Amino acid sequence: MTLAERLTRLRYNRVPDHLLGEILAKNWTDNLVPFAFLIVVVATFGTLLPGFFSTASVIDTTRQLGEFLIVVIGLTVVIIGGGIDLSVGSIFALSAFSTLMTIYVGGASPGVALAAALGSGALFGAFNGFLVGYLRLRAFLTTLVTLIIGRSLYDILITTWGTRLQSSPIFNDSFDAIGMNSVAGLPISAWIAVAFTILAHLMMSRSRMGWHFTAVGGARRSAYNVGIDVRRAVFLTYVISGVSSGLAGYLFAARLSGVGPGTGWGLELSALTAAVVGGNSLGGGRGSIPKGLMGALAVLLTTNGLIRMGAGTGTSQMVVGLMLAAAIILDVRWLKNRHKVLSEVYVAPLHHAMQPAVSAQPGSGTSYALNDALASAEPIALGTVEGPEDVILDADDNLYAGTRHGEIVRWFAPDYTRSEVFSHIGGFPLGLAMDRAGQIVTCVGAMGLYGVSKAGEVTELATETRRSLLSVVDDARLRDPNDCDIGPDGRIWFTDSTTRYDAHDWALDSIESRPTGRLLVHDPKTGKTRTVLKKLRYANGVCLSHDGQSLLIAESWACTVHRYWIAGPKEGQLETVIRDMPGYPDNINRASDGTYWMAWLGMRTPSFDLALRHPAMRRRMTRNLPQDEWLFPNINTGGVVKFDDTGRIIATMGDLGGAAHPMVTSIREHKGWLYIGGILNNRIGRIRLPGADPDWTSWESYWGARP
Amino acid sequence: MNLLDRILDPFRGRAITIPPYDGAWRPNTALDTARPVAALPGADNLCADGAGVVWLSAGPELLRLEGDAPVAVARYGAEITALCAGADGALLVALDDGGLFLRRGDAQEDVRGLLPRRVSVTAAMADGAGFLLAEGSASHAASDWPRALMARAGDGALWHIDPGAGRAERVAGGLAFPAGLARTAQGAPVVAEAFAHRIATPDGSRPLLERIPGYPGRLSPAAGDGWWLAVFAPRNRLIELVLREDRYRADMVAQVPPEYWIAPALHSGASFLEPLQRGGVRTMGVRKPWAPSRSYGLVALLDAGLRPQASFHSRADGQRHGATAVLDHAGRRLIALKGAGEVIELTGDLP
Repeated sequence: MTLAERLTRLRYNRVPDHLLGEILAKNWTDNLVPFAFLIVVVATFGTLLPGFFSTASVIDTTRQLGEFLIVVIGLTVVIIGGGIDLSVGSIFALSAFSTLMTIYVGGASPGVALAAALGSGALFGAFNGFLVGYLRLRAFLTTLVTLIIGRSLYDILITTWGTRLQSSPIFNDSFDAIGMNSVAGLPISAWIAVAFTILAHLMMSRSRMGWHFTAVGGARRSAYNVGIDVRRAVFLTYVISGVSSGLAGYLFAARLSGVGPGTGWGLELSALTAAVVGGNSLGGGRGSIPKGLMGALAVLLTTNGLIRMGAGTGTSQMVVGLMLAAAIILDVRWLKNRHKVLSEVYVAPLHHAMQPAVSAQPGSGTSYALNDALASAEPIALGTVEGPEDVILDADDNLYAGTRHGEIVRWFAPDYTRSEVFSHIGGFPLGLAMDRAGQIVTCVGAMGLYGVSKAGEVTELATETRRSLLSVVDDARLRDPNDCDIGPDGRIWFTDSTTRYDAHDWALDSIESRPTGRLLVHDPKTGKTRTVLKKLRYANGVCLSHDGQSLLIAESWACTVHRYWIAGPKEGQLETVIRDMPGYPDNINRASDGTYWMAWLGMRTPSFDLALRHPAMRRRMTRNLPQDEWLFPNINTGGVVKFDDTGRIIATMGDLGGAAHPMVTSIREHKGWLYIGGILNNRIGRIRLPGADPDWTSWESYWGARP
Repeated sequence: MNLLDRILDPFRGRAITIPPYDGAWRPNTALDTARPVAALPGADNLCADGAGVVWLSAGPELLRLEGDAPVAVARYGAEITALCAGADGALLVALDDGGLFLRRGDAQEDVRGLLPRRVSVTAAMADGAGFLLAEGSASHAASDWPRALMARAGDGALWHIDPGAGRAERVAGGLAFPAGLARTAQGAPVVAEAFAHRIATPDGSRPLLERIPGYPGRLSPAAGDGWWLAVFAPRNRLIELVLREDRYRADMVAQVPPEYWIAPALHSGASFLEPLQRGGVRTMGVRKPWAPSRSYGLVALLDAGLRPQASFHSRADGQRHGATAVLDHAGRRLIALKGAGEVIELTGDLP
């Protein structure tokens, strides 16, 4: 290796480039920009204005914050639900007015006043909700109209009743206390706001109703299709917004004990700014209550700070307007480009120097030399099966395979022309194994390990393992469970190929060549799942040796087969059985003569092997080219390899033209036949094995009486 | 702007694009459904002389087409890379190793000595009493064009020889692998620069057709007006990337056998050691026709102003790739497919 290549290796294998993509893939990255903005606001005014964060100042701020925050939260709910509510200022003013009327004209208690405030807010919100939700008018224009109507109504009321309110002889101490008093250092209104925020957050993130709002805002049609009452959900968001404004108006009235013509004027602009600056997307479906909180803090601190610095109302309005514009631009740009950025930075290739392989060229005379034996395989289910990654047969010779439609299909012996859906799992069933009771155990892509009883009933066996301490991606999840086998004690050993890519993107893992594959074991007796081996380059096939003492494990992108001892004196040790193959190994299964069959999912090519030593080139490839143009290992030609316990290669078969079996992902010997599956194929093939034991079955080999 | 782009590019990544098959280049399967004439491995050149004899070449072999049957006439010491009938009925035969012969009946004259150095000719065209010769690259033989491309050779030239007067002169130089010759409506010579994907005047001052979605090769006159263009290989975005990746390309040229390079080719898919791109993965028994491919079959009909009028394709899932010559003669439109090793005939009306 040259010095330059060593440096490249150091650069790409030591610097954790992959973390950037993993962090960007997290939903909480949406919060980073508003959070950074909030920090900047706090730092700026904290430095420019001495005493800005003194106790008195903070308490005064929190008093205003309480009311403002509640309005922003209500508006946030509407925005998440895909709408907009411009009438919050009018509702706020009307509720404050009805509060004061109830107390100072009606002489009622603060409790009744609260009911009046919330009631008028809810009523107004329901009016909005009815128009937008049920009559399906446009939210922007509708709430603009109700903004004007509400404001006019308020103006009429305040000119008619304003004098009576101001000259009212009633004093209500408990009402004033709500506005003036503090509990444990914080104003009561702030406590109410905190409680309200927590409640709203729980509602949005943990309740059915909140999830419905998010679903409706994200994709109205899909929400409708899954059975959500879309109109009702939209209606409810406006009611919630109205109630929030009502509560805020009540607190405002309690704080000032009066209203004027300017009450709630311009509140919709600052509340909208707060919600959007916090990172809630105006398109709906993306947002959260904490975002609303951050936005409310940022906007309130900015306006207060500007006023304290002596800026006029015009200036502070202008700044708020500019903040809104900036936030909207950022929101649109980010939403539009986030997936592009993510797909460009997610693949983080490593330097990986493969050793030269023995040639598999036909006629090269090596034990790996491919022939055309699989081209003449007898097709089963040609054109009707899609993606039989693995195949297995039961005691009655019926054939089972998973399909990409999320089913396990059974073909009936002896001619396999009749079939039925044996069970529907939902995820893509990959590796299959059969336990002592005849239950099928399967690794389901992106889901986990599942069992399917003889009656076709599906049970979940394992869907998670212990999370690594320092991994950014949630590696407790089984992202790409691939193949499984069952030990003599009933423990199920299975592989999870990669923690970086979803099951359907499995081949992208080869471009990165990052070892994140794992071997896991599930114990049905305890129900526990444990990670046994890590850092495998696409852990793939797993097969129990004939003596039941060890497992053979295929490491696809390393072109290597390992042996892991699960019993006997070497228990827990890992050794390499076959290395530097010319093909990428997939599933491994037992052969009748005490050896093993291995599928090759593809072949190494000189250009790809070379590209593995040029991570920078691969990186630019993933950034500058669309995925369809990326260089791949040759997964259009596969094969079947037979090897023994020492790793000696006994035979190799292939389909050079690739018309019948281009990629082979599994093989299963059964009564003198070899059944062949391929994850991208449209058939299952079988070839007669001359000289093989015509009575041998895999199940007998595992569970039958031992001689 | 240029400087700013160069500073920003490492951070933002710039998409590599190639011209799409659109407009007159819209894909079809016309080559796949064309009438087979003869299977002839290495079929490369096609030309007709004044007497109406159709000549063709396959590797070092010179053949005559009688009806649909190729009949071997002569065998040369190297691959024949250009054939051209002169004004006086002589047939010019150019070889990969620089050999240059004038055949008159069974007699032939070695005219290699006219040229001051070895010139591996990629295409020839009669010009007055003599010939115009396109030299793909001064540093690479005509058949070694993939290596020339990987070296980004821009040292092609245009020669004029006049065997009668015993003269030869270099008309133009610095061309990006000229591989075809034609004339404008006014009679001025133009050259197809394969690596620049364009047809232009030899001095490069006036491009007549740019952004060709492949590597343009030989041009031949069409019946009536216009020209036939054989596009011998497709453009491919991964290859364009490799052409920018100097370190990877240098290692590839040094360590990988040429048939397995990430480079355009006349045919592909013969070996599992060839590179594969994601779009080319065979899924449910199907290879997409629009999959990225190293080889392609493409012939275009250009008008007298060398603007494309129609095109005839064999796509990524087809077999008739690597078209190197078209002969529109006596009512037949013959196409030599060097990649597929076949001569075919386009029948029926042209669009």
